[in-house]
Amino acid sequence: MEKFEKLQTELQGLLAEFKISGETARVTPLRSIQDLVDTASQRGAKTLVACGTDDTFNLMLAALKGRDFTLGFIPFNENSNLAKILGIENIFLGVKTIAARRIEKIDLAKISGNYFISFLEFGVMSHNIKNASLWQNLKLLSSEAKSFTIRVDDSYNVTINGLGGLVANIRSTSGQGEKIADPTDGNLDLLILERLSKLQILKYRDAISEGTLEKVPNTTVIKCKKIEFLEPRGTNLTMLGRVVAKFPSTVEIIPKRLRMIVGKNRTF
Amino acid sequence: MDKILDENLNGPAETVVGPSVKIQGDLNSEGNIKIEGQVSGKVKTSQSVFVIPGAKITADILAGNAVIGGEISGNLKISGHLILQSTAKILGDIACTVLRVEDGAQFSGKCAMGGNVIGNGKKIASEKSGSELEPEE
Repeated sequence: MEKFEKLQTELQGLLAEFKISGETARVTPLRSIQDLVDTASQRGAKTLVACGTDDTFNLMLAALKGRDFTLGFIPFNENSNLAKILGIENIFLGVKTIAARRIEKIDLAKISGNYFISFLEFGVMSHNIKNASLWQNLKLLSSEAKSFTIRVDDSYNVTINGLGGLVANIRSTSGQGEKIADPTDGNLDLLILERLSKLQILKYRDAISEGTLEKVPNTTVIKCKKIEFLEPRGTNLTMLGRVVAKFPSTVEIIPKRLRMIVGKNRTF
Repeated sequence: MDKILDENLNGPAETVVGPSVKIQGDLNSEGNIKIEGQVSGKVKTSQSVFVIPGAKITADILAGNAVIGGEISGNLKISGHLILQSTAKILGDIACTVLRVEDGAQFSGKCAMGGNVIGNGKKIASEKSGSELEPEE
């Protein structure tokens, strides 16, 4: 809590230094992110900036419910995935970026009425792999493959025995010229991991934990606009370890829907 | 052609169908497609299709170029180069502009090249207006 107050003070100082005016509001037990977004919308705000963790931004995005805002993000933690993607690694750069107001239109992904810009995972998740020991990783990635059924673009059904996978609009490893997880190409990327040998697990553990599954042999890669996760019912779809939906669910992409304030060092 | 083959086989494919994947329906892509699993329905791209040895396809393939190493039951309409590798087994008609067949490849069907007539008299490979695909080159 003390650290949070310190960060708040630092933020207020930087906002004054860069002459950024506007209303600031804090989430409290009585005022949720949804309440803050609703109030901002009623007052005619055009730009919303989330200050906090990736989850703060994701919850703000979900609270928009399709309403039109220009969005920004100021990270309060050093390991923010989103901050890396947007090229704003710390509070200072975050505020500087807001002051510069470099705006990019990016694709927005939608799942069950919620919106996201990054990626969702199912089955064996990079979030778990990243936070686990080598031994736990070997156990996790040696687990039995599941049979997933997924319908793509209302055109074909994919049945696969796999460990899990991800649906990416954008990820921290996205780069200029990178075809997978390009948030400006109007597509989602579906990557599904097949069962691996112990040697392959050791060799590709880093790629799996980074979510760059296309580097792992036999991974299925599909570029599409709509994905319906059908079977097995009840399988979790997660974002950074937080469950956002369960099978059956539909993920769609809305091309160039979001106006986002981005930094010079963004990954796309 | 070997250079094109090498570059494409080792380069990134936009769509990769893994060995344990079964696809039912129409697989359409705007980029290269690499198939290691099973597909039944239709495969369509203006770029290249690579059917890896071990893959099984029960579908018509329409593509710019194709390198076939697996088994196909269906017709191939390729507007550019078609390579049948030694492990290829094809049961169906072929239409393409340039064809290369390696020793050991099995092919049972009709073959039309350079806009010649195939099947029911319809021109396939190089007739741009009649073809569903536009060649890459």
